Amino acid sequence: MSIPFSGTLRRSGGIVSAIGKQLRSVNLKGVKRITVQFDPFAENVKATREFLFLLSTPKVSQSNPKCIVKPDIVCDRSPAFIKFALIDSAQEQSKVKEIRFNSDNLNTLELLQLLNKHVSTLAPPEEIAKKVLTKAEKQKLGGGAGGKKPIKKK
Amino acid sequence: MSSLIQQGLPLTSARGPLLQFLRFRGKINIQRPKDPHYERARVIAVTQPKYPKVSQALTCFQSRAERMGAQVDNPYNAIIAREVRNWLDHSKLVAIYHLNSITSDEIFRVRVQLHKQNLHLKAYGRKIIAQAVAGTQYEAILPLFHSNHCIVFSPDQQRVGALLRLTRKVPQMVLLGGIVEQTLLSRNELMDFAQMPGLQAAQAQLVQTLNMAAGNVVQQLQAHQCNLIKVLDVHAKGNQEQGQEQAQNQKQESEQETQT
Repeated sequence: MSIPFSGTLRRSGGIVSAIGKQLRSVNLKGVKRITVQFDPFAENVKATREFLFLLSTPKVSQSNPKCIVKPDIVCDRSPAFIKFALIDSAQEQSKVKEIRFNSDNLNTLELLQLLNKHVSTLAPPEEIAKKVLTKAEKQKLGGGAGGKKPIKKK
Repeated sequence: MSSLIQQGLPLTSARGPLLQFLRFRGKINIQRPKDPHYERARVIAVTQPKYPKVSQALTCFQSRAERMGAQVDNPYNAIIAREVRNWLDHSKLVAIYHLNSITSDEIFRVRVQLHKQNLHLKAYGRKIIAQAVAGTQYEAILPLFHSNHCIVFSPDQQRVGALLRLTRKVPQMVLLGGIVEQTLLSRNELMDFAQMPGLQAAQAQLVQTLNMAAGNVVQQLQAHQCNLIKVLDVHAKGNQEQGQEQAQNQKQESEQETQT
């Protein structure tokens, strides 16, 4: 007798592909400024630095070119944090002015997951830009409404 | 004698060995061999060699051991580690930056600008730096290399001001810390160091402060005399002006007299 299938059909690609998957769904449209503060000599800043690097990649920064990522280096061994200052519509939606991640005990994947959970959801929905009609399309529409124009034989 | 021996032994012949030709110009059959006789086939079956079968599926422990054990350190790493150590020992200024995502074009531009100021931009892997720095006084800089980084070496002179000016224009390079003359400095300390005047200026200031103590005493002793001299000067000048005015008036009067 065969038992019903249990388990996975595909093996997971590991933490790197999980990070890649999170990065693909990052949307910074609801943020106007990101401040990443850390002390480079403190412990557990690797995740923060990696996160800062990932935020600076072209794919992520192109999701909102107006958003500024500002790294802040301090020298007092204070725990690292990341602050997201939200735009007005996002502030209304979430009723907070800024979101802060204390990244001392989080790893890069968790930071990205939290980002997608809290910040990417606050992105304003995209407005569908009005389609620009080509001449042929306009003619078609115009022809459909007011009678077809006679085709001239050249 | 030999002929007698040959007559006695019937098989020996001076003519040569007995030859029976099996094939004549025909092609040999190799593709459709005849089935061997049962006895022969039995012997062949028994005498076939048995080779040990290597199972292609390794156990989990074996495959992991292969994966882990196969990483032998490249001896080239030791050479690069030596180069890093060399740079660290012979540079007056070492600045370490966190490097965000940057195109090669931009980093090349930065590298050229820094090179014009005799500042050398380098980047090595964490393992190599750990190898270079292990057990030396530079061990404290290791935590700075956990993520994407670059290092700027200045071999002959400290040009902290120029370095900061150039890297301020590059948003992807974030200063983390540095080593100035075998002293580890944090980012804020490095920025303050850039603001400080040079060594000669500092020495001049020190000399001035030392002289100020003695100079103060001298100044106070001479204060009254100087005052007197000043007052006399002013008085003398005033008299001189008066005398000059009087002389001018007299001249004018005499001219008027001569005219009339």
